[in-house]
Amino acid sequence: METDPVLQTFIIESTEKVQEMESALLQLETSPEDEDTINALFRAAHTIKGSAGVVGIDNVEKFTHTVENVLEKVRLGEIRVTADLIGLLLRCCDHIGHLLESLSAGKDPEENPELKTEGQAIAGELSAYLAVEGQGISAEPDKETTAQGSAPETLTWHISLRFGRDVLRDGMDPISFISYLSKLGEITGLTTLTDAMPPAQEMDPESCYLGFEIDFRSDAGRQAIEDVFEFVQEDCEINIAPLHGNKPSRKAADTAAGKQTQTRESGSKVGGTIRVDTDKLDQLINMVGELVIANANINQQAKRIGDNSLLESAFALSRLVEDIRDRAMKVRMVPIGETFNRFRRTVRDFSRSTGKDIRLLISGSETELDKGVIEKIGDPLMHLIRNSADHGIEERDVRLALNKPENGLIHLNAYQETGSIVIEISDDGSGLNREKILKKAVERGIISPGQELSDREINNLIFEPGFSTAQKVTNVSGRGVGMDVVKRNIEALRGSVEVESREGKGTTVRIRLPLTMAIIDGFMVKAGASFYIIPLDMLDECLEMSDEEKHLSFKRNYFSLRGTVLPFLRLRDIFNEPDGGNQREHMVVIRYAGGKTGLVVDELHGEVQVVIKSLGRVYRDVKGISGATILGDGTVALILDVPGLVRNGTRKRRSGL
Amino acid sequence: MNINVENNNGLCRLRIEDEMTISTAAELKRVLFDNLAGCRELEVDLSHVNEMDTAGFQVLYLARREADISNKVFRIVSPGPKILSVLQLYNMKDFFGI
Amino acid sequence: MARTIMIIDDSASIRMVVSIALKKAGYEVIEAVDGKDALEKIKGQKINLIICDVNMPNMDGISFLKTIKQDPNYKFTPVIMLTTESQEAKKQEGRAAGAKAWVVKPFKPEQMLAAVEKLVLP
Repeated sequence: METDPVLQTFIIESTEKVQEMESALLQLETSPEDEDTINALFRAAHTIKGSAGVVGIDNVEKFTHTVENVLEKVRLGEIRVTADLIGLLLRCCDHIGHLLESLSAGKDPEENPELKTEGQAIAGELSAYLAVEGQGISAEPDKETTAQGSAPETLTWHISLRFGRDVLRDGMDPISFISYLSKLGEITGLTTLTDAMPPAQEMDPESCYLGFEIDFRSDAGRQAIEDVFEFVQEDCEINIAPLHGNKPSRKAADTAAGKQTQTRESGSKVGGTIRVDTDKLDQLINMVGELVIANANINQQAKRIGDNSLLESAFALSRLVEDIRDRAMKVRMVPIGETFNRFRRTVRDFSRSTGKDIRLLISGSETELDKGVIEKIGDPLMHLIRNSADHGIEERDVRLALNKPENGLIHLNAYQETGSIVIEISDDGSGLNREKILKKAVERGIISPGQELSDREINNLIFEPGFSTAQKVTNVSGRGVGMDVVKRNIEALRGSVEVESREGKGTTVRIRLPLTMAIIDGFMVKAGASFYIIPLDMLDECLEMSDEEKHLSFKRNYFSLRGTVLPFLRLRDIFNEPDGGNQREHMVVIRYAGGKTGLVVDELHGEVQVVIKSLGRVYRDVKGISGATILGDGTVALILDVPGLVRNGTRKRRSGL
Repeated sequence: MNINVENNNGLCRLRIEDEMTISTAAELKRVLFDNLAGCRELEVDLSHVNEMDTAGFQVLYLARREADISNKVFRIVSPGPKILSVLQLYNMKDFFGI
Repeated sequence: MARTIMIIDDSASIRMVVSIALKKAGYEVIEAVDGKDALEKIKGQKINLIICDVNMPNMDGISFLKTIKQDPNYKFTPVIMLTTESQEAKKQEGRAAGAKAWVVKPFKPEQMLAAVEKLVLP
C-alpha cells in the first residue's frame, strides 16, 4: 500500500494519544477525582476524534466520539469514575489501538468482523453510561436536505447587507465576503450605502458604517448564499430575497417586520430543528384528517355530478391532500433507536445481578414509528426483554453443558414490512417447552385435555391470561404482569404479537404495529343500520353468500371456503343490530394472526380512508370496536377491532359454543 | 504606513505608503483631516499603497465627503491594482472620479 | 504577496490536512502546536488569519485569543476557532473575546478552505 503521509501522521499521533489516555486512566485508578488528569484524558480522546474526522477515518472517529461523550460527562461530574469505568475505558484504548494497527497494516478495519464486533460491544457498554441521562441528541445537521433545497436553477437574488459596527475590529471585512460571494455567481449590480457614516469628528475609523444592496445571479441556492455570511450573521442585518421573475418577488425595501422574519429564519436554521408542543401537532394532524374526509366527500360529489373538469380538479386535490397527510404523519414519526438503547442498561444490570452474561444486539434503530406508539411500546418491550433474559437464556453452566456460547444473546430488531412495523425480540436461550406449555394450559383450563393444537397455537398459549411457566419467580420478570398484559397493550395499539420458538435454540417474539395511529385505510361494510370499517390490511376477500350456503353455514356454524373450514361471526349478532330484512348477505374474509375468519355483513361499501377518532364514553365499553370515524356526509362509522373480535370468537368456540 | 506630506500654496499632496488598513486607519484619518483643514486642494497619491481594506476605504470616502462639504478639491491619483479592485468591487470608482 | 495563515492545533494530522489544502489554494501557512508555541512563532510575522483549536494543552485557544487581542499587531487579525458541537459554553466565551468565526470539527479540507476564503482572499 502506498504510504499516505497524512495517514501515517495520523496513526503515529493517535497511537501517542492512546498511550496518553492509558496513562491518564492508570493515574485515575489511584486518584479518581483528579481534574487535570480527567481533562488530559478528555483532550487526548478529543484530539483522536477530531483528527480522525478531518483525515476521514470514519470508524475511529465514530468510536472515539462515543468515548468522548462519556468522558465529557465524567468531566462535568455527571458520571463518576469507578473501577468498572476505568476498565471499560482501557478496553476502549485497546480497541482504538487495534483499529490503528489495522490501518497501519494497510487493512480497512471495516473488513475485519472481529474488530467490528469488538467495537460494537464496547460502544454498547459505553452507551449504557450515556443512556443514564436520556441520551444526548446527536445534532447532526442534515446536509442532504440542505443540498436538495438548492436546485441548480439560476435565480436572481437581491441581497441587502448592513454590517455591524464591530465587524472590522473582529477581523471581518465586507470586501472578503463580497469577493467570496462573487465566486458563487455574478454580481450584476452593487450599491455601497454610506449614509450611516457620521460626521467626520464622530466617525470611528475602526467601526464599519457600510451597507450594500446587491443584485446577484447564481444557481447556488439560498442556503449557499446565506452561508457566505455565516460568520457575520449575528452582528449584521442580512436580507436575501429572490428577485422579480423568479416566483414570488420580495423587494429589498421590505417592511421592518419582513426583515425581522428573514433574520429570524436564518437564525433558526442554525439548529435545524424546532420543538413543537405535541398538542399542536395533534391538532394539525386532526385537521389534516378532517381535510382527508372533506376531500373524500368532494370526490364522491364529483363522481356523482360526473363533470370531467371537476373530476380532474378533485383528483388533483386528492393527490395533494394525500401528500399532506403523509407528510403530517411523518412529522409524528420518531426512530425507535432511543427506546431500544434504554434496554442496554436493563440487560447490563440484569447481567450483573444474576451472573448470566447477556449481550444485547440492537439493529434497525433507524426504523420510525408513530410517537404515540413509541411511548406505549416501551413497557411491553421491557417485559419481553426481561422475560428473555430471565426465562429464555439459560444459566452459564447449563449453556456450557449444552455446548452453547457462554454469553447469552438478546437481539432487538425493527423493520418495516408492508403496512406495518415489525419489532422482534429474539434470544438464543432454551426456547419454549411444548410439553410444559400444554400441561400448564390444561391445568389452567385454557385448553381441554387431548385438544389438537398446532405448534404455533401451542406457543401462542403463553399469551393467554393466567399463563406462566416460570419455574421460579425472580425479581426481574415476576412482577405480576403476564404475557397476556403484554399482548393486550400491543393490541391496544392495533398491533399483534406472536411467538416463534425452537426448543433449545431460542425464542423470537414478533410484534407487528400499524404504521400510523391516526388514519387507516379501511373497507366499509354495513350491518343492520350501522356502518363498520375493517382495516384494509386485514381484508382477504369478499364473497356473496347464496341462500343455500347461508342456511347450511348457520346450521354447521362454519362456512366452507373452497373446501376449507372458515369460522365466521355475524356482525349483526355481535352488535345486536336489528335484522334489516335484507336477504342478501356477504361474507368478508379477514386474515389475522395467521388464520382466517369470516364476518357476515349486509352490504359492502368499498375502500375508504378514515381518520380515527377516540371513542366517546358511549362506545368505550363496546367490545370489538377500536374507534370511530365520521364519514364525509356526517355519519358515524365504527372501526372494528379485528383482533378483539377474533379472540372473542375463538374463545366462544373453544368453550363449546 | 508612511505618509509623505508636501504643501504648496494651498495645494497639499499626500503620498501614502504601504497599507491603508484598520491597523493604520486612525492615523490615516488624523493626517488626512489635519491636512484637509489647512488647504484648498488635496491630492492623495496612492501609487505606493499595496493594501487597502474597508477601514482604509471608509477614511478615504470620509475625506472626499468632507472636501465636498467644505467646497474643496479632493483627488486621488495613481491608484494601484489593490485600490482599484476595492473601488471596483464597491462600485465607487465614479465617486472618486476614476 | 501571498497571505499568511497560522494554524494552531495540537493534532499534527489536522495541521497537515489544513496546511495542504491552504497551500494548494495559494496561502502561506505557519503551524503551531498550541497557544504557547503560537505566541512564540507569531512574533514579528505578518499574519492575515489565525485558525485556532479551542482545546489544547499549554494555553488553550480562548486564552490565546485573549492574549493576541491585546497585541496591537494582531488585535484585528481574523480568527477562526475550531470547536466541537459540545462546546457551547466555550463558544460563548470565545465570542465575547472577539472570535466570530467558528468551524466545527470534524470538517472537510474544502470546508476549511471555504471558511478561510470568506475572510481572507488568497
